[in-house]
Amino acid sequence: MTMEPGTVPAPPNRTAWQRIKKWFLARPWAARLVVILMLFIAWEIAARFFVDKIFLSPPSIVFTSLHTVFETNGVPRALEISASEILVAFLMSVAIGLIVGLGVGLNRFSHRSFMPIILLLYGTPQITILPLFILYFGIGPASKIAFGVSHGIFPIIVTIVAGVQNIKPILITSAKSMGASRWHIFRWVIFPHMIPSFFAGMRLGMTGVLLGVLLAELYVSTAGIGYFTSLFTQSFNPTKLLGLISVLAAMAIGLNEIVRRAELHYSRWRMN
Amino acid sequence: MSASGDRRRASLASRGMQFAFVVILVGVWYLGTTYGGISPILLPNPVAVYHELMDVLATGEYVSDLRITLMELVTAFSISSTVGVTLGYLISRSQYSIRVFEPLFAGMYSVPVILFLPLYILFFGLGPASKIALGVTTSFFPIILNTIAGFGYVDRIFVLSARSMGASEFQLFRWVLLPAALPIILTGLRIGFTVALLSILGSETIASLAGLGHRIVQLGEGMDTARMFAYIAFVVVIALILNMAVSTLEARAKRP
Amino acid sequence: MNDIAVKVRNVSHQFGEQGESLHVRALLDTSLDIARGELLCLIGPSGCGKSTLLNVIGGLLEPTTGTVHVGNTQVKGPLPQQVAYVFQENALFPWSTVIENVKLGMMFQGVARTEREPRARKSLTAVGLADFADHYPGQLSGGMRQRAALARALSLETEIILMDEPFGALDEQTRMVLGEDLSALLSQTGKTIIFVTHSLGEAVFLADRVAVFSARPGTIKEIIAVEEPHPRKPAFMTSEKFTLLRNQLYSLLHDEIRKAVMQSTASERAAASGRGTGKGAPS
Repeated sequence: MTMEPGTVPAPPNRTAWQRIKKWFLARPWAARLVVILMLFIAWEIAARFFVDKIFLSPPSIVFTSLHTVFETNGVPRALEISASEILVAFLMSVAIGLIVGLGVGLNRFSHRSFMPIILLLYGTPQITILPLFILYFGIGPASKIAFGVSHGIFPIIVTIVAGVQNIKPILITSAKSMGASRWHIFRWVIFPHMIPSFFAGMRLGMTGVLLGVLLAELYVSTAGIGYFTSLFTQSFNPTKLLGLISVLAAMAIGLNEIVRRAELHYSRWRMN
Repeated sequence: MSASGDRRRASLASRGMQFAFVVILVGVWYLGTTYGGISPILLPNPVAVYHELMDVLATGEYVSDLRITLMELVTAFSISSTVGVTLGYLISRSQYSIRVFEPLFAGMYSVPVILFLPLYILFFGLGPASKIALGVTTSFFPIILNTIAGFGYVDRIFVLSARSMGASEFQLFRWVLLPAALPIILTGLRIGFTVALLSILGSETIASLAGLGHRIVQLGEGMDTARMFAYIAFVVVIALILNMAVSTLEARAKRP
Repeated sequence: MNDIAVKVRNVSHQFGEQGESLHVRALLDTSLDIARGELLCLIGPSGCGKSTLLNVIGGLLEPTTGTVHVGNTQVKGPLPQQVAYVFQENALFPWSTVIENVKLGMMFQGVARTEREPRARKSLTAVGLADFADHYPGQLSGGMRQRAALARALSLETEIILMDEPFGALDEQTRMVLGEDLSALLSQTGKTIIFVTHSLGEAVFLADRVAVFSARPGTIKEIIAVEEPHPRKPAFMTSEKFTLLRNQLYSLLHDEIRKAVMQSTASERAAASGRGTGKGAPS
């Protein structure tokens, strides 16, 4: 077979189907959207034709009726309450986690003494003592905040300790060799080094706080969203229940995304 | 050598600190409840808790609840592990499907799965089915993500080498893909098991008619705080044993 | 005639399509005859397509155009009965012992179970690893791992062995020893070996013929014959003949190497600017 020197023969012409397939092949996100779409369609079909209306509601109805969820007496207030519980718990977790994390991480002795205890507590199933939290803090927001803090502080402490401990000793040595004081070393070497871990810890902490607050709300609630999930469940109202859950899920995703973006932004020097 | 002597002294000192910490904690607890006039409903006396615990163990009262919780755990984990590993393998077969599906599953991590519980209660009622459903949902994601990671990122050189020697699809799977992916998959299974246990205990606490989580709640509502503490201790130990067992299995299976 | 083991005719290969960011013309109209029982070296600058040609010969890659014949069969996929591979990177399975690795290879090829053990032992002895049969690859040095990979290839008892820079990751001294052993092995077994390398000295020391590639898109510039019987003695390395041949290779390759380096810095610059504007090569 003779060919022009320096050329490689061109591929054959494509059919329309091949072109569509190629378009999707280059864009995984498009295929993903299709998959999600198909899941929603499956949900719609299942809810309309196969499952009793008191158990499942199709997405078309759930999302067009979202406003009824908000119009239900007390729901907006409940969302506000739960959101503030999450925020307060998160801020407290960060504050406590930072203090304890720095305290344990910076001091070799306290690290060796207290870290095992902290890890032990981190590993125990806290859900078992939820009733105790209610017993001690009551059925109002305080117990939700407390349970949220209890879940949120541990990842923050652990990641801050790791961030502080992982500093390459050479960095501290070189700072000392240039005459840095203890405060200088903390402020300009240890602290900046620890920031990415801190943000990673906050991301995990937010997940923990969400979990803790939601668990406590679902367990017992008189005015928070747990009250309404209970209400909608017991009154067999899947439309409103699914609507409320979607709102809560969106809120959780939003909060997680905010913290994740913050983490990425402050961890740029760690990118490699 | 003074260096190792220093180290020994340092670790002895921290051990001492831990010991002192625990002793002080328990001591305050004991003294506070015995002489401090704290209501036994709020904080029971450690001695009372101990007696209740012994009673629970001796009478075997825990058996029915333990059986239910374990049944829920085993069922949920069996379902999520078989479905997760199978589906994960199928997805891992092409780089494209990995790129389509992996972010989907990873994205689910930001949703607190506990939110599905009211749905499952609505659907399945208060019995074990709703707990199993939640257990499956929670443990499914770490399992499938680790399976995809394990199979999907097997070094290409191994596949190329086996193919060049004439390996069939099955031989490739059995002798190359599976052993290469196994460590990561096992980690995923361990994580899945742990979170399944936690979510099952959680759902039993929140809305259930039976099981260990429910028992704790029941005792709390009945103001039998001493016995409740006993059960809490019992459940914590069970969880510890189960987690250690699973970790050991994982480590042993990973050894070449 | 049955003297030709492998016939390569007008093979060209490109990765990706014209106009795509990942488009690479790796090989251009390459033709080659490889005689039975010879050790042929493919040498050339980075990216010249020598590994691509090896993969095409081994049936691991289907060329955009052109054909390869091994014996009388056209290559359309891996030919495990006729062709064995030794890769540069460690392709030994880290989760199996050395001897298990060798036996696995035979199982893939379809050797009967009872034959696997004796063949494995034989080939491990041939490469000097008889005492390390039950070790894991992670416990061995780089040189020993490549010996094990060679043993696996030998145990498959194929006529042809393809080796893709097998000693590339090893230090100079290990390479020297392994090269001498390979030459000795070759004289004993009479296999046809196609060997890709970067090292001029290695090419001259091992090969019966050396095919020199041009820079990308690669094609064979010239083939040099090394007339020296196997097993090659260490004395050959210091001989005048060796130096002459090596110098000949160097002058052929020098310009091509420079060209290849220019090509790679140009493409890296393009990729870096593409990254800045948000366009990147698909991974």
